[in-house]
Amino acid sequence: MKKVSIVMLIALVLSLGTNVMAQGASGCPDGLWTLMSAELESACKGELAGTAVTMSGPFTDEDEVKFNDSIAEFEAWTGIDIQYTGSKEFEAVIRASVEGGAAPDIADFPQPGTVKGFAADGKVVDISTFMNPEWLAQNYLASWLDMSSMPGPDGEAITAGVWARFNGKSLVWYPKQAFEAAGYTIPTTWDELIALSDQIVADGDAPWCVGIESGAATGWPATDWMEEVMLRTTSLENYDNWSFPSDVANRLPFTDPAVKNAAETLGTLWFTDNYVLGGRQAIAGTFFGDAPTPMFADPAQCYMHKQGNFITSFFPEGVQAGVDYDFFYLPPIDEEYGKPFLVAGDLYAMFNDRPEVRAVMDFFSRGESLKSWLGSGGALSPHNDAQLEWYGSDVERGIAELVSQATSVRFDGSDLMPAAVGSGSFWKGMTDWVSGTVDLDTALAEIDAAWPQ
Amino acid sequence: MKNTKRRAILVVNGVLLIIIVLWTIPTVGLLVSSVRDRNDIQTSGWWSIIPHQSWVASGEPIAAPPDQTRDQPITINGVTASYDEWRNGVNMGDGTRIVWVGNLRTGRLQLYTQQISMNWNFTLDNYNQVLAGKAFEIQRADGTSTTVQGDDLVGAFLNSLTVAIPSTIIPILIAAFAAYGFAWMKFPGRRIIFIGVVAMLVVPLQIALIPILRDYVNLELNGTFLGIWLAHTGFGLPLATYLLYNYISQLPRDILESAFIDGASHFTIFQRLVLPLSVPALASFAIFQFLWVWNDYLVALIFMGITNRGNQVLTMRIAEMVGSRGQDWHLLTSAAFISMIVPLVVFFALQRYFVRGLMAGSVKG
Repeated sequence: MKKVSIVMLIALVLSLGTNVMAQGASGCPDGLWTLMSAELESACKGELAGTAVTMSGPFTDEDEVKFNDSIAEFEAWTGIDIQYTGSKEFEAVIRASVEGGAAPDIADFPQPGTVKGFAADGKVVDISTFMNPEWLAQNYLASWLDMSSMPGPDGEAITAGVWARFNGKSLVWYPKQAFEAAGYTIPTTWDELIALSDQIVADGDAPWCVGIESGAATGWPATDWMEEVMLRTTSLENYDNWSFPSDVANRLPFTDPAVKNAAETLGTLWFTDNYVLGGRQAIAGTFFGDAPTPMFADPAQCYMHKQGNFITSFFPEGVQAGVDYDFFYLPPIDEEYGKPFLVAGDLYAMFNDRPEVRAVMDFFSRGESLKSWLGSGGALSPHNDAQLEWYGSDVERGIAELVSQATSVRFDGSDLMPAAVGSGSFWKGMTDWVSGTVDLDTALAEIDAAWPQ
Repeated sequence: MKNTKRRAILVVNGVLLIIIVLWTIPTVGLLVSSVRDRNDIQTSGWWSIIPHQSWVASGEPIAAPPDQTRDQPITINGVTASYDEWRNGVNMGDGTRIVWVGNLRTGRLQLYTQQISMNWNFTLDNYNQVLAGKAFEIQRADGTSTTVQGDDLVGAFLNSLTVAIPSTIIPILIAAFAAYGFAWMKFPGRRIIFIGVVAMLVVPLQIALIPILRDYVNLELNGTFLGIWLAHTGFGLPLATYLLYNYISQLPRDILESAFIDGASHFTIFQRLVLPLSVPALASFAIFQFLWVWNDYLVALIFMGITNRGNQVLTMRIAEMVGSRGQDWHLLTSAAFISMIVPLVVFFALQRYFVRGLMAGSVKG
């Protein structure tokens, strides 16, 4: 009896296994996508069913669940299994994996500067070899495509990946109830912002909460601030030559007056007495995730906090968007430079060239690949074919609207810079300057010295 | 005479007690934190569970004097202090304290009295989330929402055991054979090879990661348990061989020689005499190696890393639990405690050998 049941159990397990294997593809809905690559078309007919694509990236946990949810439909349509593994130490691991020849098929890079090195080494597959250029041009703003174009192994530009998600950065969060109870109004110009800050100081509070501590990455929130001010005080051309110079001759060094001017403008906001909760000394020592918490104290201890949209996951449990907090656009400083918007985003780069990987990459260039993630929150879509009504939260829909109204969209400069600067000397230099260890000129010179020649 | 002796014992025990308390405080803090809820962990230290005097609000707040400015001193109930001092609270001298709550325009005054309080708001929520997985709510486009259960620790826990046990036993077996060979067998080049093995001790494992990964990819070992067992074996062998050599070479020569005379082969001697006699050294190295493998993050990350999610070990899983941006770091408290259980069991099980083993090979002659 016992033996029989074990045999039956094994048979059952085997049949379950074969069931999964034989699970076919149901095919993509007709007319959902246009300008598809040959591989995506054949995937949609179910011809690539049973294949697997490995993916890796830095997002884990909740984001991983949302990601898996957003690709589930595509997997059912095509029968391609997308296997994602997230790692907290992604940046370090991906380097070792690519060097060791164990790269995943697709990797998610939040710092496109890292991809540059892989592209130059010829490790990254040029997606323009199989994707319809017309489609890319139609579905992405030109500035996105510019930022994914990188020099390949022979110096020719290749398209190193597709933009899959982005974060809005130019946002100032405020505790809505306390803000309104105190009778403050949302500033729309820099002068109004300064006037509001002065008003809050006169009322006996600190206007800003700032924290740039982040373990080994301490200083990155300060680089975001620098980029915001750069975009608002100098030309886009200068910003591009500063963050992502096309060649060495064009590079705008950190020692340039434009950069120094931006830092000084930032300094007036951060170092003015009583402007920042805890004063200048508190900035470098406050964990960026804890920085907004005093806004939700009773009574509020500060009223404004500039950070990307991800910061809401650090807000205290139970605070509600639109009720307890809201955001406004960090106003322009010099009207001449319009209303720029700073973003950061994730670039999906491809390391192994197989038909199913091509099909999946094409899928990621389409808004459909984010649809359910947008609905459950935590992501913004860079795709033109993503609809505003797909967003599940008003906050994210509001950010997407702000981006569409912006006169220019620029990528987080420190993520584009070579890693030695973008995730090295820039962080450290800003921290040293903010904490008062070195003066501004020395800090800027130190940051610039790390730029690879 | 007896008195001095007793005093000496008291002093020694007292010092030991202090050291023990100092050394256990972080663990106690971790344990206490692991049963506190997220907001408490983020806003106050674990020591706030100890009863302490604190100021507690009494009564409703009253209106603050109007039309004050930030740089003028403000007088309330006969006490004068600056606005910033009032915000932090000023002791009124009669056991009460007044705090200015809010800003200058809309602020109110709150009276505080002193009371003994303790923060005993304990919860098992952290353990629940770590053991059962976090529950994520996924909003659908049509307005409905589903709850998706995140990964729990169980799979990773079993993986860690699967990695750690063979990674402890394999190097010990090989190293014991090698140590016996180096200590009791005569063959040409013995010294040179032994020096070579010892020299391996100074090679940092980090520099070997990428070359080994390349070989693993070619051999299709990457992401497999066999691969990681071999990696840990390789990285652990030099120290194991050295440690066991020191112990085994100090075994009394007479015992082994008489066995030889009785016609025992090397294998018999190794198996019947050397292994049983070197249990303390074997056990103490087992503890070292097990703890190292159990707590290892780097080697697992590289060789299991990003290609095989199903084989994730505990350290990787715990690192992921804090979320993409570290927003759930409070879960580290309970996760750390759960991951500590196995090393503690191993340590206490092998502890009686440990002290003897620590001295393995340290006393010559």
